[in-house]
Amino acid sequence: MFKDLDPILHSQLRLAVMSLLISVKQAEFTFIKEKTNATAGNLSVQVQKLKEAGYIEVIKEFKDNYPNTTCKITSKGIKAFEEYVNALQQYLQVKK
Amino acid sequence: MQEKELSNEESLKLINRMIYEAKGYFYESGVSALVYGFSILLCAVLTYFDNKGAIHFPFAPFYIMVPIFFVQAFIQIKENKRKKAKTFTDEAIDFVWTGFFLSVFAALCGTFVNAGYIIITIILFLTGLATFITGAIAKFTYSIVCGILCLLVAAISFFIQNSTIYLLLAGVAVFVWIIPGLLLRAYFRKQHG
Repeated sequence: MFKDLDPILHSQLRLAVMSLLISVKQAEFTFIKEKTNATAGNLSVQVQKLKEAGYIEVIKEFKDNYPNTTCKITSKGIKAFEEYVNALQQYLQVKK
Repeated sequence: MQEKELSNEESLKLINRMIYEAKGYFYESGVSALVYGFSILLCAVLTYFDNKGAIHFPFAPFYIMVPIFFVQAFIQIKENKRKKAKTFTDEAIDFVWTGFFLSVFAALCGTFVNAGYIIITIILFLTGLATFITGAIAKFTYSIVCGILCLLVAAISFFIQNSTIYLLLAGVAVFVWIIPGLLLRAYFRKQHG
């Protein structure tokens, strides 16, 4: 029996954000924007969706007098990501 | 990057690419290693000549390291602030070198009981170990080889319990901090124009 792929993660930008955050302790919004080549507006919307799902934590603070947003994956996010990758691998194995 | 649904293969490719991108992130100007390396080199050479009577210093030259330590901590904090992402590798290396500095301070307590040159031997061992672990974590072969050589120098230093040991320390400073510092500096300048 196959598990359904998590709809929150099964979209290009949100998956890219989660893949970046799973590999680092934390990352600034500008770093994620740079690596994903996304627009600030689109990225903000997707980051917000991930935050609402409880997959990431968003920390807003000031750095050298400028607002700075930092994102960090949560334990719920790690679990969801692992399940998503396992499900993907299952689908691909059957396809082979 | 747009908001679209992916095929399963595309999803896996994207995950791999992003993980590779994130793990490749690196921000290190090399200034911190250079400041520390040149300070150790200077203090070791001055102490050597002081012990030989070639120069006379009003205090032990290694006391210069006290303000240097604060300068280096300031540089490190500033560099950490400039990092756009904190990787697990960064964190592990930070812990290794924090442990190194705490161990060096603990070893320096030996000066209160006139432990002598053996303290430098202990510092050489600690330097070799920290360099080796850093190289292993960062997958930087130079540091792995340097760490092993430094441990070898530390073992040899048991047989050189006189002022010459400071020259060993000076040599170690060149290979462990100054050369990697210059390499990092050149790489950083290339990356940041």
